[in-house]
Amino acid sequence: MTSVNIETVRGTIAEMLAARDQEADFADDESLFDSGRLDSIAAVNLLLALENDYGVDLSDPDFNVSQIDTLQEIVQLVSTHQS
Amino acid sequence: MATNFNISTAFGRNAGLFPDNSALVVGADRFTYGELASLVQRLAGILAPVLTHGRVGILATRSTEACAGILTTAWAGGTYVPIGLKLPEERLIALFEMLQLDALIVDKAGERLLSDTLIAAAPRLILAPGETRGDFKALKGSLSATPGPAMPTPVKVGPSHTAYIEFTSGTTGTPKGVMVSAGAVAAYLEAMHTWYDFGPEDRAAETCDITFDLSVHNMLTTWKAGAELHIMRPLDMIAPARFVNSHRITTWLSVPSVVAMTRKTGGLSPSSMRTLRISLFCGEPLPASAARAWAEAAPNSVIDNIYGPTEATIACLRQTWSAGGRETASRAIVAIGQPYPAMQAEIVDPEGRPVEDGTAGEIALAGAQLADGYFQQPELTAARFPTREGTRWYLTGDRGYRDPDGVFHHLGRLDNQIKLHGHRIELEEIDTHLRAATATEMAVVVAWPLSHGSAEGLVGFYAAAPHDGKQIRERLALVLPPHMIPDRFEAIETMPLNANGKIDRNALFRRLEAGEVELERAS
Repeated sequence: MTSVNIETVRGTIAEMLAARDQEADFADDESLFDSGRLDSIAAVNLLLALENDYGVDLSDPDFNVSQIDTLQEIVQLVSTHQS
Repeated sequence: MATNFNISTAFGRNAGLFPDNSALVVGADRFTYGELASLVQRLAGILAPVLTHGRVGILATRSTEACAGILTTAWAGGTYVPIGLKLPEERLIALFEMLQLDALIVDKAGERLLSDTLIAAAPRLILAPGETRGDFKALKGSLSATPGPAMPTPVKVGPSHTAYIEFTSGTTGTPKGVMVSAGAVAAYLEAMHTWYDFGPEDRAAETCDITFDLSVHNMLTTWKAGAELHIMRPLDMIAPARFVNSHRITTWLSVPSVVAMTRKTGGLSPSSMRTLRISLFCGEPLPASAARAWAEAAPNSVIDNIYGPTEATIACLRQTWSAGGRETASRAIVAIGQPYPAMQAEIVDPEGRPVEDGTAGEIALAGAQLADGYFQQPELTAARFPTREGTRWYLTGDRGYRDPDGVFHHLGRLDNQIKLHGHRIELEEIDTHLRAATATEMAVVVAWPLSHGSAEGLVGFYAAAPHDGKQIRERLALVLPPHMIPDRFEAIETMPLNANGKIDRNALFRRLEAGEVELERAS
């Protein structure tokens, strides 16, 4: 099992922001999706990356995929749902 | 007494009948019909005195303010104009200039966009969220210290009143505003309420932005029924089953691409949405496989495919699918069915003459749901809404045929309009800006790859010395919303031309399909 490296996740998100012409800098508690900076297609790609890189089980009924709005939430979610 | 066609009338009636029922749920916030009505009545008192032609911009989405702004505009007798939060500033300013709005209503996300430049171009009255829940404050302008008295009832309007103007992509490089009348909305709602019997026990999900007219269905069928509207955040869209369960949603309307997106993350397991009783899909071809997956996930729900352009008010043909519905086998999609009661549909040839059943042609629509045309574009309106033998038609630009049982089937487009993740896009609009960004007339955008007739991406081609893709992207981002910016850009030596000397978009598509594009780039 890979432990969550916050900087790796940050890098993945920074790439998504850059690909959408957004500032790649963001705070750990900054809203990524509700703010409209990233769209739901980016959210799907992010989830698939979490599944591949960290073995997160997306089909786990307790895994609330809507709780990935900030880097903090993502790291928290991943660390409690690794298979 | 003549009927009041105001689109907020039914909401107002239900506020009297069920003041304590929930009308709107946004996150942890819940508004009863009574609360929302008193907010709307008070805001209408502020808005009504500034209305001249009545157009009010709503720079908001998926929020209390968006819903209250739309209801208030209607209540005060105006025409609401949803404005996308993702539009670049240049485009927002152009829209403000074209529309000459009487007022602008924004939510928190909309307020953040209001730079000094934008405020200078905005109407004199801007209503923004206030300090307390559901409250608004005037940002700028002439809001008097004593706003008009609250309006107890909605302004009376007839069927020809323009209820809203919905902007869609335009081939000339600027979007076009579709003007929809209150009478057209009434005809749509009448058909839907007869079929689906929406009631106060229903809980509907708002699946889309207010810049899509599917939101008109979600808001107005719900409030006409005295039911609850639950606003989904963009993140909720990737896990609809979770949202449906936690809010016990009973009725659903979304674009079909939501189903594909959900299946990617394994979020649509069998029987995962047992509370749904009605599931409707609209806005793109509905793959039969997506309909089957949704039916398994929502075993208690009817699944219907509805079809129609914004120019015919949300949808005007329907194919019931769950009871052994019909497919368009050649495309593995659900058929688009038969016209709504107030509508008629024909398949016509290029001269506008009806063709025989089974023959492909253009889908033409007529009836009470037709829009009034395009805002300030009489020539385009006359071309797309011709009158033939006393009947006014809308030529959809969609290819289709009618089978011997009178069921309509969709075969794609006659022009370069595409659907990308539910967005309706005219490729020529992007071409115009790509040509400016690459400083060559030899530039086009190709929708690729395609899946069941819907695009999954955009590739920009230009025949010029290679530019930095990032620079092209930055230029386009000044004038286009993010969903219209190609994913990649390819410099090619010579642009393929067709027999008329025009750029051959299909040839570029075939090269992409054949995987030849990278080769060319290397040569």
